[in-house]
Amino acid sequence: MGNLLVNTRDQRFVLFEQVGIDKLFKIPKYSKFNLELVDMFLKEAEKFAVEVIAPTFKKSDHEDPAYFKDGKAHAPACFHPVYKKFVEGGWICPPAPEEAGGQDMPMSVFTACSELFGAANYSFFMYPGLNLGAAGLIGTFGTPEQIKKYALKMFAGEWAGTMCLTEPGAGSDVGALRTTAKRLPDGRFSITGTKCFISAGDHDLTKQIVHPVLARIEGDPAGTKGISIFIVPKYRVNEDGSLGESNDITTVNLEHKMGINGSATATLNFGENGKCIGELLGKEREGIKIMFKMMNEARLSTGMQGLDSASASYEHSVQYAKDRVQYRKIEDMPNQAAPGVAIINHPDIRRSLLWMKAHVEGMRALNYYIGYLIDLEPFVEDHEEKEKLEDTIGLLTPISKAYCSDKSVDICSLGMDIHGGYGYCQEYPMEQLLRDAKIATIYEGTNYIQSLDLVGRKLGRKGGMAVMGLMGQITETTEKAKGVEELKAGAEQMEAALQAVNDLVMQLGSWGMSGEFVLPVLNARSVLMILGDMIIGWQLIQAALIAQEKLQALLKKAGAEGSPDKVKALAGENDEVAFYLGKVASAQYFTVNILPTLKGRCEAIKLGDRTPVSMPDACFESR
Amino acid sequence: MKIGVLMKQVPDTETKIRIKDDASGIVVDGIKWVMNPYDEYAVEEALRIKEKKAGSTVTIISMGPKRSVETIRTGLAMGADSGILIDDPALEGADCYATAKALAKVMEPENFDLILCGKQAIDDDSAQVPQMVAEFLGMPQAMVIDKLVVSDDGKKATCYRRIEGGAKEVLEVDLPAIVAAEKGLNEPRYASLPGIMKAKSKPFKEINLGALGLKAEEVGAKGAKLKVKKYFLPAEKAPGKIIPGEPEDAARALVKMLREEAKVV
Repeated sequence: MGNLLVNTRDQRFVLFEQVGIDKLFKIPKYSKFNLELVDMFLKEAEKFAVEVIAPTFKKSDHEDPAYFKDGKAHAPACFHPVYKKFVEGGWICPPAPEEAGGQDMPMSVFTACSELFGAANYSFFMYPGLNLGAAGLIGTFGTPEQIKKYALKMFAGEWAGTMCLTEPGAGSDVGALRTTAKRLPDGRFSITGTKCFISAGDHDLTKQIVHPVLARIEGDPAGTKGISIFIVPKYRVNEDGSLGESNDITTVNLEHKMGINGSATATLNFGENGKCIGELLGKEREGIKIMFKMMNEARLSTGMQGLDSASASYEHSVQYAKDRVQYRKIEDMPNQAAPGVAIINHPDIRRSLLWMKAHVEGMRALNYYIGYLIDLEPFVEDHEEKEKLEDTIGLLTPISKAYCSDKSVDICSLGMDIHGGYGYCQEYPMEQLLRDAKIATIYEGTNYIQSLDLVGRKLGRKGGMAVMGLMGQITETTEKAKGVEELKAGAEQMEAALQAVNDLVMQLGSWGMSGEFVLPVLNARSVLMILGDMIIGWQLIQAALIAQEKLQALLKKAGAEGSPDKVKALAGENDEVAFYLGKVASAQYFTVNILPTLKGRCEAIKLGDRTPVSMPDACFESR
Repeated sequence: MKIGVLMKQVPDTETKIRIKDDASGIVVDGIKWVMNPYDEYAVEEALRIKEKKAGSTVTIISMGPKRSVETIRTGLAMGADSGILIDDPALEGADCYATAKALAKVMEPENFDLILCGKQAIDDDSAQVPQMVAEFLGMPQAMVIDKLVVSDDGKKATCYRRIEGGAKEVLEVDLPAIVAAEKGLNEPRYASLPGIMKAKSKPFKEINLGALGLKAEEVGAKGAKLKVKKYFLPAEKAPGKIIPGEPEDAARALVKMLREEAKVV
């Protein structure tokens, strides 16, 4: 039995065998790392996730959630000792530079560690996650004084951070925000406005909370171009760095949510008494550009959240399917006297599990791969190569966020189906995993907003160079797979899918050129999911090529080549054989069962149906 | 204080153990290896004493194959100062006696003020090595200890152990001594990230038999007093039986089964 959270063998496969993070260790910044160390990080992260974080999963949902009492917000009581240990363990900011108290840990490695933490209890991991993002923002754009004053204490886990974008009237439409910043004589600003849905917005895990706040300086233009960003602490900070008086930020309430109940989601009123002071971060009217750094990171974290819940759901489902006895084997159906078997013997349960497994593995590979590209990017010297890399990261970011979060809900739902009625009950973690997963399709930019970013900005950028480059890479992998007997059928499906996607991208481009924007926008979500499936299929084929080669060597060593019975028996006793065989199976299943749908889905979009927009509003309503 | 900690790398408790075809041992391929949990208490206790007594050092000593290095590193990442691994093909097949002999030999020149270890390793559960090491080194021993207090002058240790009937036995030993940890002694810390990074540059040495000054026939299978004939898995347990009905009837049925089927009463 595994840890019921994450397949740690697959984590190592993706990092060490598929992505090949050892290539990073040649870069001076990462030269202090090696595979042995990374292995140790993963082991400790797993231990911490399983032994310390996971026990808070259920508690923080039900009996001990974040709560608001007498005007004060509290994190779950069970989070306090865990947060302390998390800080002591140095997990608060591993990717931060060493001089800021971090370890310079590659993002790919931290992503793998974070999968364990998030799968154990994502609502806990949100507190350090947001802090890391906010501290990184100040660390990157702040003045040396601001870094010393705020970021270092945040990196040390002494203070926490948030991100304050959303307002009651400005959700997806950030440009509509109404929070204002009034110039003060000393160069600072008086902040007034309301921010809502602020994750980790107010709590008692730390003495101080530092809010990066988007606001408009009085007189600046409307829309996103007039927005600046400010550092607004919960308590004012004295000259010596100690905490001073309250900075006039009022917590109005914490939301009562469907899931992630351990996370304190606050509505914050800034400057009710006109005494909320903020410092400008970066330059005036560059707030959105600056915040995008944190937003991009947050989008990838949200893609990871999708993976985290999905992975935990899958691991629990396999275990349950092996334990739960129900019904006879399909071959024994007529024989009433035949014994009942574990449900993992039933074809539909196996199909469900393999569907979940393939998606989880593909999503894991995609997210770690993006982490790897982020690690690589700053050190690419060739200008053209660097731009290419940036564009690929830009293309993959909304796909990771929206695809992984959407699929996570499907995976968690299927996991619940495998558990049947028990899965719907609180006795098992399945219903909470599903509830916790759902928010990821909504926050950090809804999945529709992600799809618009993809279709409106990323796909067409530089004549579609990024997507064409990516498809070129996929074609290369597919060509290799065509030469491997086990992967040939799937590779042919990928070839057909690539053709269909290529045609679709062309069609979207020509609609765009002719000023026809409704159709690309109307189909944006479908387009994103089509590209997502294509990329996941690619990652799975890439993994299977490696796995198949290693599998062959193992089978040869054991003298089991060419004998299905021997291979099956060997898989039962040799974990490595079972693992590689499973990797090949994931790719086989996905490529043959999912990829063929891409052609039809692309065709449907190309038909140019506009019914949803052409149908009169009145037809939507019941009268 | 100079503290030594004896540590053994063992299979994770979740490991599904498989026996080799020739019954000569277990299949080690694919096993996840961890620090023996009782040894974790020993490492933690050593670190706590070190934190209290300025200038103290903690050395982790292990005997085992090359892979044991990673578990020693875990101890270094927790905060220990140095590590020693005794690794030699001749050590294979050692029983508790031969193991203790080699461990004692490596510790002799170190002149530890205190040696800590787990009360037993969870792989073979022998619980004999600490006592034998103590004998070889001529040191006092305190076994199965769940509370340890070292005197301010570092000359004595007061050790507490649970005994039958819920009582505690209190032992006082002169140092140097060997103290074997029981669960409850402390809550072992997690290796921190900075700790893991630091561990890679901490002093670590690997020694073989020649360096130890022992002959091949004194250690390993040759020096062992106990020979393992074969390994086998326990027979699978038959499923339990639930006796339905009112308590009185069920008790009657149980007695009947114990008498007639199990034939134990």
